Amino acid sequence: MTAEPKSSQFKSAASEALQNPRLQAAMKASGGLAVRRAAAIAEIPEFEAIRDAGRDLKNHTLANLDAYLLAFEEKALESGAKVHWAADAEEARAIILKIVGRHAKGPEGKARVNKGKSMISEEIGLNSALEAAGHHVLETDLGEYIIQLRGEPPSHIIAPAAHVSKPDVEADFRAAHTHLDPERTFPDAASLVHEARHVLREQYFGADVGITGANMLIAETGQGVIVTNEGNGDLSQILPDVHIAVASLEKVIPTLDDASTILRLLARSATGQSLSSYTTFYKGARRQGDLDGPKEMHFVLLDNGRSEMLAGEFREMLRCIRCGACMNNCPVYRAVGGHSYGWVYVGPMGSVLTPNFVGIKEGRHLPNASTFCGRCQEVCPVRIPLPGLMRKLREAEFEQKLSPQTARYGLGVWRWFAKRPALYHRMSSIGMRALNWLSGGHGRLKRLPFGGGWTAHRDFPAPAKRTFMAEWKARKAAKSQGDDQ
Amino acid sequence: MSARDKILSKLRAALDEGDATVKARSAAAQARIRTAKQTGPIPKIARTDGMDRVNQFVERAEAVQATVRRIATIEELPGAVSDELRRRNLPAALRMGDDAMLASLDWGAVETSVGPGRLEEPVTLTAAVGGVSETGTLVFRSGPDAPSSLNFLGEAHFVVLRARDIEAGLEGLWRKFRDSGADPRTVNLITGPSRTGDIEQKIELGAHGPVALQIFLIDDY
Repeated sequence: MTAEPKSSQFKSAASEALQNPRLQAAMKASGGLAVRRAAAIAEIPEFEAIRDAGRDLKNHTLANLDAYLLAFEEKALESGAKVHWAADAEEARAIILKIVGRHAKGPEGKARVNKGKSMISEEIGLNSALEAAGHHVLETDLGEYIIQLRGEPPSHIIAPAAHVSKPDVEADFRAAHTHLDPERTFPDAASLVHEARHVLREQYFGADVGITGANMLIAETGQGVIVTNEGNGDLSQILPDVHIAVASLEKVIPTLDDASTILRLLARSATGQSLSSYTTFYKGARRQGDLDGPKEMHFVLLDNGRSEMLAGEFREMLRCIRCGACMNNCPVYRAVGGHSYGWVYVGPMGSVLTPNFVGIKEGRHLPNASTFCGRCQEVCPVRIPLPGLMRKLREAEFEQKLSPQTARYGLGVWRWFAKRPALYHRMSSIGMRALNWLSGGHGRLKRLPFGGGWTAHRDFPAPAKRTFMAEWKARKAAKSQGDDQ
Repeated sequence: MSARDKILSKLRAALDEGDATVKARSAAAQARIRTAKQTGPIPKIARTDGMDRVNQFVERAEAVQATVRRIATIEELPGAVSDELRRRNLPAALRMGDDAMLASLDWGAVETSVGPGRLEEPVTLTAAVGGVSETGTLVFRSGPDAPSSLNFLGEAHFVVLRARDIEAGLEGLWRKFRDSGADPRTVNLITGPSRTGDIEQKIELGAHGPVALQIFLIDDY
């Protein structure tokens, strides 16, 4: 079992999100990433060609995935790292709990665990498993730290606290950091960042185990790669005696030169930087004479549904490099926020991944929560055809008879008419006239019978004056009249 | 069956088809790893040369809030560092690795100590093994003379870099590592000081790592 999904409640969660003024204000404040991405990409004319190369290199790696994983494993072992394979979330948690338990220095075998931000650890529900075993877990990425204080899941894959406003962070810090002066003020975001820096700095020292994700695994060298802007991932893996990097299978790429291609795409697509502040390549444990670095280094390679995706029609989704550009540019995500999606992965990439990982029954609303505007595919650095994959999930939903009775009945009615063209045209022109009459000639409808779910949040466009077929006939008639003269 | 075997057999079931066999895939992977050639296009900004390369490095480092001070020789480093400490109102003390080049310099009144990073570390000084002009990035490798923690724990991180060690793009860097046979445990690519956008997406410097990144660039290109 993975982290508990709540995706089946998407509709009610999204409705609540739309009515939540604090969330709406926070979402509005967090709109800068899409703008920064566009500016960064405008700087290098070669970006489109690099996207092609990124897509091709990921396709090549996926087509030879077993070979690259074995090559990585061989090199990683050579460098002194330990490599563990986990078929599912439960196996991964068991492996990690065992390592953590072995290195716990606290009383009664309790360990202090520092974490860098890792979506895979969210996917496998690692924090709650560690806490259930009595270990103390500290998220060190500022956004993750904030949501850990709030007891919430992340709402964005690279900006986990995108839904939290500054006043909320201030309240959380006052509640958590009771050892600090209660009279202190927070005039700006910088003062909050400074306090978190101060509080977390002490906790970097004294952790028994550091757990991070990996942005890439390099088969050529056996290195893991971690990309951060804060430096928290590095501090989490350099200072404790043990470093565990948990990564899903598709993170492996062939060579360092392939890493160049991914790096040129990743930060630009994510935050609009040409490179994030810290990109670290690490391998194995501390060496003879080293004054720092972990004494033990473990890689946990997680399948948890990837091998099924590799075999089926969702293989292309495994190209994803987790930049977040699709959600930053998604009108649905921007309106309802990440929590509405009910699981770890959100926005368009989440709408494809979630049904694949937790089942179409649980995740069926997500691929339907798209206007198919196509923006996600336009910005995806590795050109994943996200709307096409969502369409496949909609088809699967229909085939498995999971769509609601009314929708299936409605489609049945439509099909009956569509098979009878004369009747279809007559009925559609009556319907169009009726809608135009209802709109009062304003070109849009503020209310629609049976369509309150739509018109509660936006107007419904009134149809054209007449049907396409009628227009076609009229134009043809006018043209032939013109020819006659 | 072990998890490893289970996963590999599932991957193979997904990939085995016609000529795509375990053997063929292994050969394809080994060939690509052996030749290790650039597979993506190299952007123009990663193809600079000569002084353009150095100037672009400075420009791009400053664009990500690093500061750069150019000096003529390594002997000028202690004076420039001391001056910079005064200018920033920092204590006249440096933490550094057991680096022979740095140890050979006359630090005068500036107190130096050797070892990994500690909880409170006002200023650390480390030597970059390279730079990347494409992105204004500094390159560090770990070793007994260069603990990685010094790159992250200083409030201010001072870095010395030779202009001739600046590569045009990431490609040059990989070539240099492969050619020299250097195989460090850790390679840190550092592009500007630590930052976060996690509070309402306002970029703030000094999230956990250094608040300031000061580069001393030796102009010996």
